[in-house]
Amino acid sequence: MKKAAALLLTVTMAMAFVGCGNTAEDANTKNTDNESNAENVSDTEDLQGDLEGDGPLVDGVLNVGTNAEFPPFEFVGDDGEPDGFDMALIKAIGEKMGVDVVVENMEFDSLVASIGSKIDVAIAGMTVTEERKNAVDFSDDYYEAVQYVIVSADSEIASAKDLEGKTIGVQLGTTGDFIVEEIEGATAAQYNKAVDAVNDLRNGRVDAVIIDKNPAQVFGEQFKDEVKLYDGESADFGFEKEFYAIALPKGDEELAKSINDALAELKEDGTFDELVTQYIEN
Amino acid sequence: MNEWFADVAYKFQIAFLDGDRWKLYISGLGVTLQISLFAAILGVAIGIVVALMKLSVKKDGSRSLWSVIAQIYIDVIRGTPSVLQLLIMWFIVMKGSKNGVLVAVLTFGINSGAYVSEIMRAGIQAVDHGQMEAGRSLGLSKGQTMRYIILPQAIKNVLPPIGNEFIVLLKETAIVGYVSLSDLTRTASQVSSRTFEAFMPLIGAAVVYFIIIKILSKLIELLERRLRKGDHR
Repeated sequence: MKKAAALLLTVTMAMAFVGCGNTAEDANTKNTDNESNAENVSDTEDLQGDLEGDGPLVDGVLNVGTNAEFPPFEFVGDDGEPDGFDMALIKAIGEKMGVDVVVENMEFDSLVASIGSKIDVAIAGMTVTEERKNAVDFSDDYYEAVQYVIVSADSEIASAKDLEGKTIGVQLGTTGDFIVEEIEGATAAQYNKAVDAVNDLRNGRVDAVIIDKNPAQVFGEQFKDEVKLYDGESADFGFEKEFYAIALPKGDEELAKSINDALAELKEDGTFDELVTQYIEN
Repeated sequence: MNEWFADVAYKFQIAFLDGDRWKLYISGLGVTLQISLFAAILGVAIGIVVALMKLSVKKDGSRSLWSVIAQIYIDVIRGTPSVLQLLIMWFIVMKGSKNGVLVAVLTFGINSGAYVSEIMRAGIQAVDHGQMEAGRSLGLSKGQTMRYIILPQAIKNVLPPIGNEFIVLLKETAIVGYVSLSDLTRTASQVSSRTFEAFMPLIGAAVVYFIIIKILSKLIELLERRLRKGDHR
């Protein structure tokens, strides 16, 4: 009986460690050496405290949300960690700000809703839109977003007019998803991943796919015999010009300022352009 | 306190009332129920057939080929996650089909069939062996005894676990959002991706699932009671 109780206690404590694992690895390593229960408990409470309340400027950890399904801005690298332009950029920003960057990979459509609770900021090739501005603030923009339309190689779709009444594949909650809402009679087929939408285009389930330029080009290259791309900003489609920015908690001007300052510095000292060359133009 | 109520009211409004969003939930619920209902019917049909296949023996009492096939089917289905089965059906097996609900019904029907078959087998084996002997001695064939004597008793036995299976099935359909079908769970995600407010849509969807399942379990309970009427003589 005693043994069972001891085992139960061990498991519970181990789970408490795992639960906090992502937020502060340093504190965790310390914890494993701890012997007294009381200390463990207080440490756990501290960790939960920094998840809920204190911003990155207080606790020195910037919790960043992303959706690593959006090459070349973010994708899961060979080591299983999110990699890509946005990841490199936010790490550089974190370095300038003097905080540790902890990346959380989650669904794109839950990013905005998670800011201020699970994560501090989100960087995920996210377009600045009026709808999103109701819920979050944005940093200065860092990249021009262009939507591309992907259709199968033999498709007759060549303009915005042709998209009316069609089924259009998008990634849930992305700019493309919002664009489809505006197209008359069109139905959005909303996928978790852009690649699934493209696959269903190849399978003939959707008539077109609307996603951002860079991932669209990646897919266009991948399946170049089967699909063709249209620039959404061209006169035929006429989608509005938009920009990527980092989503920030609403009203946190201090954080916004330090991130914007870091971003401006990176643009000035050439680091930003280096990252563009390294990740996007290659 | 007033502020808190105003906030909740506002969140409720954007989650359900603005732009007639409640209609989205209704149509999402429709997709969930459609998939669950037809998958359950298909699952029970497959389950009974597979259970009988698995129980079948050769004349000398050794395992028949049918039994081996049934065992392989059960092993494969139970040994792989249903999300993967759905993705495989969607992107590989039925990649030409444009009827998404049909693909989901087949996936979940085939999936559920494996579990139902084991439940049915347990029910059949729980019926006393003497029943088969009695039926045979009265001149019924093996098939007739199974159909008119064993199966009716077995079905009564398996109602509670079958009810369980229906409930699991209904909730498991929540994964169809993976392949762009707009079921109830996906509708909640769609709304929160528009309003950037997760609380109301998620809790709303959870409440609807709860109510539907409560009704379902009540119905199964009623059926159980009806079938038990003959027990107290």
